[in-house]
Amino acid sequence: MAQFLQLLINGLAIGSIYAVIALSFEIAYESTGVVNFATGQLVVVGALVGASALAYTHAEIPISYGYTLAVMALVGIAFFVSVFRPLNGKPVVTIVIGTVAIGISIQNVSQLIWGPLPAASVSPVGSGVLRTMGTVVPDHALFVIGVTAVLIGCVYLLLHRSSLGKQFRALAQDEEAARLMGIRVTRLYALTWILVAGLAGIAGVLLSPMWFIDVTMGDSLALKAFAAAIIGGFGSIPGAICGGVMVGLAEILGAFYISSTYKDALVFLLMIAFLLLRPRGLFGERQSERG
Amino acid sequence: MNIPAPRIGLVLVCAVLALAAPVLISPYSLRVLILALISAIAVVGLCLAFGYTGLIQLGQAAFVGIGAYTSALLTTRLGFDVWLALPAAVIVSAVAGMLIGAPMLRLRGHYLALATVGLNVTMEIVTKNWTDLTGGDDGLSGIPGIGVGSFDFASDRSFYYLALAFLTLVALIAAAIRASHFGRAMIAVRDDELACGACGVRVFRTKLLAFTLASAYGGLSGVLYAHYSNYISPGDFDGVKAITLLVMLIVGGEASILGAIAGAVVISFAPEWLRFLGQGYLTVFGIGVVIVLVLLPSGLAGAARSLGRRLPTGLRRA
Repeated sequence: MAQFLQLLINGLAIGSIYAVIALSFEIAYESTGVVNFATGQLVVVGALVGASALAYTHAEIPISYGYTLAVMALVGIAFFVSVFRPLNGKPVVTIVIGTVAIGISIQNVSQLIWGPLPAASVSPVGSGVLRTMGTVVPDHALFVIGVTAVLIGCVYLLLHRSSLGKQFRALAQDEEAARLMGIRVTRLYALTWILVAGLAGIAGVLLSPMWFIDVTMGDSLALKAFAAAIIGGFGSIPGAICGGVMVGLAEILGAFYISSTYKDALVFLLMIAFLLLRPRGLFGERQSERG
Repeated sequence: MNIPAPRIGLVLVCAVLALAAPVLISPYSLRVLILALISAIAVVGLCLAFGYTGLIQLGQAAFVGIGAYTSALLTTRLGFDVWLALPAAVIVSAVAGMLIGAPMLRLRGHYLALATVGLNVTMEIVTKNWTDLTGGDDGLSGIPGIGVGSFDFASDRSFYYLALAFLTLVALIAAAIRASHFGRAMIAVRDDELACGACGVRVFRTKLLAFTLASAYGGLSGVLYAHYSNYISPGDFDGVKAITLLVMLIVGGEASILGAIAGAVVISFAPEWLRFLGQGYLTVFGIGVVIVLVLLPSGLAGAARSLGRRLPTGLRRA
């Protein structure tokens, strides 16, 4: 039982990170119509920038987090200018291939900057563990769960309780009408990409003390987040959270009870099962309504 | 059928160049070209599934892998003759495509794209970890070459003609499919699923058949790859390979068989031409793909077509 509880908390922690990545993916899709296959590479960039910033600032955590977010905001703007603007309005296929290709470029650039060796980072709450009721839980896992909860709360407030959020949703529904209503569409798109890259960066920073960060891990992270988005249902914040947590739990519990080599395949089986049995996910839109 | 004269000329020039290639290029380039032709078979298959029918397939490498592993296992473990293993492996790939496609093709657009990515990753995990069958990361070695009677297609030059013959055959089959009733149904499904469904086209069956055919093409490509390189490992059929195959098609022109072949050749040689970039090659590759997507949305084939259309009028004016 204690062991199960421990796995549950670890699954929840890694699942929260997947939820943040899924959120980044979904905000890009909802607000700009771009299925961002480069999400995983953005997460890796965030993790590596975070680790470097920590090294340069001699482990000054608040300053290094600030640096990381600033760099990710720049990455978001660069993505907006060089990827989104040329691809905007193109068919789904073009966007899919385009973001896949940009993901390859980002991964290659990260490899040129940081090299092929995996990087590790430290947690702001240290590497201690919490022992209660016979379980041993890393402090960082609890920190991740807490940060994610706050972060998702903020995103929810931003998107659903602020005038900016209203503008975002107006843009998602009809770009032209939004423009006619006086919404600064270009600026809003740029802001969306900053948010997308920022969320991916935060996910990377949260992940780096738990796992060794390797420049090639972007695709597998992105696929977990895609699975989370599909399970939860595209375009739904509660969906992204539930999906992320389910994927995290499936991975951790599956690795322990079923097979650690096939844990990623288990996640895909779960995703495929959802695609077939409930393609709109737990909370999502009906797929067939978009012709 | 009325074939425009420039098309015939183009095909003739390509045919002469293709036949003369082994004496014109260096032995190393010949190896690259053989691999390009082998990839081109899988890309022509993608042209059927994606170019004509509009099914986003980011997992074609999985079927190349299924073909390669099936043929490799049949010949090395069970002592099958290559000419028996080849059709068997193609059939296994096609059946796998049908079984996987039947549930998966209920998805559309980016959902289908995600599912096919998942398919390719699953294939990679299975080939890496099912060590008893696939040899895991060590791969399978000692795969025999292809021969007829006492003749072996062992030299690169002879294998080149073998690959060229296979590619020509399957490209002609694909062209015949395109010109058939079924070919028109595929195009109709791509252009407007609802409308052609309403007109009596069996949308799902058309999609499934196109996907199955593409899988068979992928399988054949895998078989030739296995028996050419004599060694296969999971890395040969990973996600990067799957994306590369789709990029070959996009660069060539997504709804054109000649374009698919041209794309396969260009993308196979791209690493050689861009060798001066060293480790930064993939950065340029990714950006290059986006530039092609934006500037040449219908690929090399589209560019050639519009050039062909523009040229005569230009000459007239001059």
